Amino acid sequence: MRIIIFSWEYPPRVVGQLSGYVSVLSTELVNNKVEVNVVTYDDSLRGLATEPSGVKTFRVNNPVKTHIGVLTWVLTLNQEVERAAANFYYDAKKQIDLIDVFDWHFVPAAVTLKNAIGVPFVFSVESLEDHRSPNASTSYNLAIKSIEWLAFFEAEKIVVKSEWMKDEVTRIYNVPSDKICVITPDGESWIPDMLQIYSSAAGGRKLEA
Amino acid sequence: MLSWEYPPRVIGGISPHIYFLSKHLVQQDVKVYVVTCDFPGAPAHEVIDGVEVYRIDSYKNPSPDFATWVYLMNMNMQKETAVLTRKIADKVDVFHAHDWLVANAGIGLKHVFRKPLLVTMHSTEMGRRDGLHTTTEKMIHETEAWLTYEAWKVICCSDYMVGHVRYVYGLPIDKLVMVPNGVNIHNYDGDYDRDAFRRKFALPEEKIVLYVGRLVYEKGIHVLINAVPKILNKVNAKFIIVGSGYMKEQLLNIVRSMGLEHKVLFEGFMDEATLLRLQQAADVAVVPSLFEPFGIVALEAMAAQSPIVVSDTGGLSEIVEHDVTGVKVYPNNPDSLAWGITKVLQDDGFANFIRQNAYRRVQEKYDWEKIAIQTKRIYEGVLGEYSKSFWA
Repeated sequence: MRIIIFSWEYPPRVVGQLSGYVSVLSTELVNNKVEVNVVTYDDSLRGLATEPSGVKTFRVNNPVKTHIGVLTWVLTLNQEVERAAANFYYDAKKQIDLIDVFDWHFVPAAVTLKNAIGVPFVFSVESLEDHRSPNASTSYNLAIKSIEWLAFFEAEKIVVKSEWMKDEVTRIYNVPSDKICVITPDGESWIPDMLQIYSSAAGGRKLEA
Repeated sequence: MLSWEYPPRVIGGISPHIYFLSKHLVQQDVKVYVVTCDFPGAPAHEVIDGVEVYRIDSYKNPSPDFATWVYLMNMNMQKETAVLTRKIADKVDVFHAHDWLVANAGIGLKHVFRKPLLVTMHSTEMGRRDGLHTTTEKMIHETEAWLTYEAWKVICCSDYMVGHVRYVYGLPIDKLVMVPNGVNIHNYDGDYDRDAFRRKFALPEEKIVLYVGRLVYEKGIHVLINAVPKILNKVNAKFIIVGSGYMKEQLLNIVRSMGLEHKVLFEGFMDEATLLRLQQAADVAVVPSLFEPFGIVALEAMAAQSPIVVSDTGGLSEIVEHDVTGVKVYPNNPDSLAWGITKVLQDDGFANFIRQNAYRRVQEKYDWEKIAIQTKRIYEGVLGEYSKSFWA
């Protein structure tokens, strides 16, 4: 199996806990014979690299440096994410089984790629706008929420880390609960569970590369 | 073809440009799909003159401001275009984007489908704002630079714009290509009662001076307003101002303070049928712009066989040959503008001379069929280069 992970943070860039999680997950996946390509952002590093873990990374920068907010920054960065993902896709002779996108930032790219080249995606929820900004009701918050909604709508599967988050996703976005998978990152069945979800989202494709 | 406006959605000059360019490309055996923003009452998909038009839901996402709306709209446009492209079995040869308003969609589609991207730069943020003053303006400027960087070729509508765009984004000269804008002379076909029509706007003894354009600084409408008393000293005329914009209140106040409300009519946005007739009925059409990438309104007046007075700037400088197809005056100079307008209004022989020359020039140079042929040739050239690249 060959996948691409989208995450706006990946070591050495650490914003919150997502960075460390994606790093451990991608390493574990490689150890389980999944070919993992990570597309991420970095302030100064850029381009293709192979990490010591065997994970292939592509770090993008924003072609537009001046921004009026996080939203425009994210939205112009997405085309660079698409470019990086397309490079992985064409270099792999179009054999990419799945994209796993973490949080809302690179959802537009995942949605475009799904519709353009037919690669399905899993949406992994680390946090939601409603929890980051309580009483989030400005048009800025609502715009981010509309992107989260798009992710829930277009994703094959949704991965959350707790039953509580599953309830929240169902409550806030009316997502059918059978679309949401709860995985326990520190549990023994973590990686087998992830592989199960990936395989199911990719249309039952083989788990191993 | 990606554009944020297409009829009936008309915001500026891009909408008619896309309409005529697409239609005439179809006549040159190019299959054209236009993806554009929605408009109340217009269907999500229809075929107009052989052109496949797709309108996307462009107000899906709440947006804090205009620029963010543009980027969110691009997210949706890109997705819908991806769906469409797949539906037609990836049989798209080139993506053609118009202005920064569809930059993200064009760039993203280029990379995911690995097809060449072309862009037509109708205007620039630097030119529109006369410099870059705010964060939003800088962001838009950088988005434009990014778009021209990603494009295989950058099409501009005048030699002036080729130079301007090259300077503003630091582009290599072989990336730029000039294709003029066109005008449809058949818009002005058909008979009408000129005298009866004129009476709706002016007294029989009054000459009609027509301004068509947004009421914004870059269009130089304030220069025309300042020239009004100087012209009225010599000629009895009625000034008809068509269009709207943020300067309207300010301009109305100036006219009121000069006591010339009976001589200057602010008509606001006008329906197309009336406007076409008015362009024909005018004794002179004035384009006093300070910044003008092309100057389509001058071309329209030439096609309507109305004499024109324009400021000697940007694309207008190229369209008009002084004292042959029109009169050129100094930009941002009410005295010069008044001189030009008075000259045309006082000398019927001269007015007729430039009117006829201008009409002939429009037929020779600004014909949509010729423009479509030129554009198709650019597509073919790009495809030839593309076929030798590792993307092919």
